[in-house]
Amino acid sequence: MWKNIYLWLDERIGFNDLYTSLLDRPEPKTTWWNTLGSASMFLFVLQGLTGIFLTVYYTPSPDHAYDSINYIMQGVAFGWLIRGIHHWGATLMVLVVFIHMLRVFYTASFKYPRELTWLIGIGLFLTTLGMGFTGYLLPWNQKAYWATTVGTQIAGTAPFLGEFILKALRGGPDLSALTLQRFFSAHIWIIPAILAALIGVHLFLIIKHGESHWPKKDD
Amino acid sequence: MNDETKKQINQRYERELDKGERFWPDTIFKDVVMSLGIFVLLLLLATFIGVPADPKADPSDTSYIPRPEWYFLFLFKFLALYGQLPLIGKIEWLATVLIPAVALGILTLIPFIEKSPRRHYSKRILPISIMTIMVVGIVLLTLVSEVPTVAEDGSKLLGTLQTVAGIFIPVGAYILLFAFKNNTRLMLWTTGLAAASMILISGTVLALAPQKAAEETEVATTLPDQIIAGQGLYSIHCTECHGDDGAIAVIEGVEGLEGEKITPINSRDVLYTITDASMIELIAYGRPNAGMPPFGKTYGGELTRSEIDYITIFMRYTWDDRFEAPVLPELFPPLAEGEAPSYDVHIQPIVKRYCISCHRAGKDNNNYLMTTYEEILTTGDNVQFNLIAGDETSYLLQVIQDHAIMNPDKPDEELIGVMPPSKTLKPDIVDAFMRWIMNGMPQTAADAAALSTPTP
Repeated sequence: MWKNIYLWLDERIGFNDLYTSLLDRPEPKTTWWNTLGSASMFLFVLQGLTGIFLTVYYTPSPDHAYDSINYIMQGVAFGWLIRGIHHWGATLMVLVVFIHMLRVFYTASFKYPRELTWLIGIGLFLTTLGMGFTGYLLPWNQKAYWATTVGTQIAGTAPFLGEFILKALRGGPDLSALTLQRFFSAHIWIIPAILAALIGVHLFLIIKHGESHWPKKDD
Repeated sequence: MNDETKKQINQRYERELDKGERFWPDTIFKDVVMSLGIFVLLLLLATFIGVPADPKADPSDTSYIPRPEWYFLFLFKFLALYGQLPLIGKIEWLATVLIPAVALGILTLIPFIEKSPRRHYSKRILPISIMTIMVVGIVLLTLVSEVPTVAEDGSKLLGTLQTVAGIFIPVGAYILLFAFKNNTRLMLWTTGLAAASMILISGTVLALAPQKAAEETEVATTLPDQIIAGQGLYSIHCTECHGDDGAIAVIEGVEGLEGEKITPINSRDVLYTITDASMIELIAYGRPNAGMPPFGKTYGGELTRSEIDYITIFMRYTWDDRFEAPVLPELFPPLAEGEAPSYDVHIQPIVKRYCISCHRAGKDNNNYLMTTYEEILTTGDNVQFNLIAGDETSYLLQVIQDHAIMNPDKPDEELIGVMPPSKTLKPDIVDAFMRWIMNGMPQTAADAAALSTPTP
């Protein structure tokens, strides 16, 4: 029976085509430095999964955010582990994405025909930083509150547009419930959606052009 | 780039593919190993380091030194150093917006700026040098981000060194790099020397930096810890008026509020009708018209948001019959036969619960302060009589056992009343004080253990 199900699915999906176009591709000799891109994506998926678990208990309001996280840490089975992974995963993701970018720069992999991949990559780097920036406020503790105060203040020093940017980020002149609400929305909906879309394009381009080879003397 | 070059690049890549590997299983194997390694690392970090606890956000706490996320620390430090520069240091947006925007713009457009098709590093010395100095700078600025630019004694040495390493050397190196851009050897020397001197100066800064004791912010995270923290704060800030059981309806013995009628705060009237949020606001703002001063920092009091939270939790779990308190540890470990109590283990928690409320700065207490070991032994108008090692007539022992001390000059006037004024201490607490003073007031548990007579 399993064979029949397989054949039925194969007729409609075409496993063989998938196999040849996605998996059975030639690649130049790769090094460990080439694994950082997929490691970034792994971290993104992990952050997504742990983040979804966290939203089950997290409450994005100044009155309850702190206590809801305390409850995740103390009351929920393995809540400390999920939050711990999410916390350290964020740090590691910024680091891995940054090192991945440096690797691409030093091996000049951004050159023809991979210029667009680089541009998308810059977008991925910035959205990753955006995830870090918005996520940092959510625990609503002293560190979070004051880091965001300073961060938005710095953004507010821009000439002409500064005040508008500041108010748009904070949802008003001061950090408030609105700031938390919009940072939460940005952190779980807006930025991840952009990030996922950019990852899709980035992956498509990598599969289309293949990974760049390690530059030799004659390159 | 013309079609001929493109064709060459594509042919070159085809040759590499021929000598290469298969995505499945060769490439993906490394990817999986790497991701698994990262996952294990995360598990270890989450388990053994965890997420450090931090107090609840407190907008009124203006003494808090704000710091951004660690990956923005370099930018923060750069802004601080930039602000020290004469003249342009005043134009803030140059450093906050323009310079980062230009750097990011160059990084984004690098495929269109660096047009040469050459990929090997030996043909890209200039861009690689620029990037290397940038990365070294970012890493070093992150490392020195905790070091102040102006030392406590007003010395600007550290700030100057940081500015040299973080701004002057990189800028100088960039100018030299463009001047030498046709000479590989000179570019390499410039980069190497710039990076080495930046690392050396930053290392000096770190070595000279004042050693700061790690800030300890105690955060109660478990319910028992929060209740105990709340009880400690309650007994310091609230017992004077509300009594240690919250039952007081008419205030006695508090200057300015004598005879004031209040609602007992352990009553259902209060606990069932006032929500946590209102209770927190009430403690923070006080009831100035009814004589209750504000306690929250926002309104000029001493307590942070977290601390007021703990007091509210303590009240709920102690007096509100809808809440069931968890098992709480004892105030101090019970004393065995012949065991001498120590300040650290036994006396400090007792003093904190029953004495500090009045015996701290700014209260009417004959200048007797009890917030530290030294203060207990060395302050007060009657310091020579308060605690006498091995003497049962020490004033402290008399007043906690219901014997007021009479004024020797005016025999019908009390010099020191019974302590605590509105409560009798439990026998085990009186016993702890008695044994502590009879054993010569040992401070640490080790001192006390040496004085204890072992039970046979």
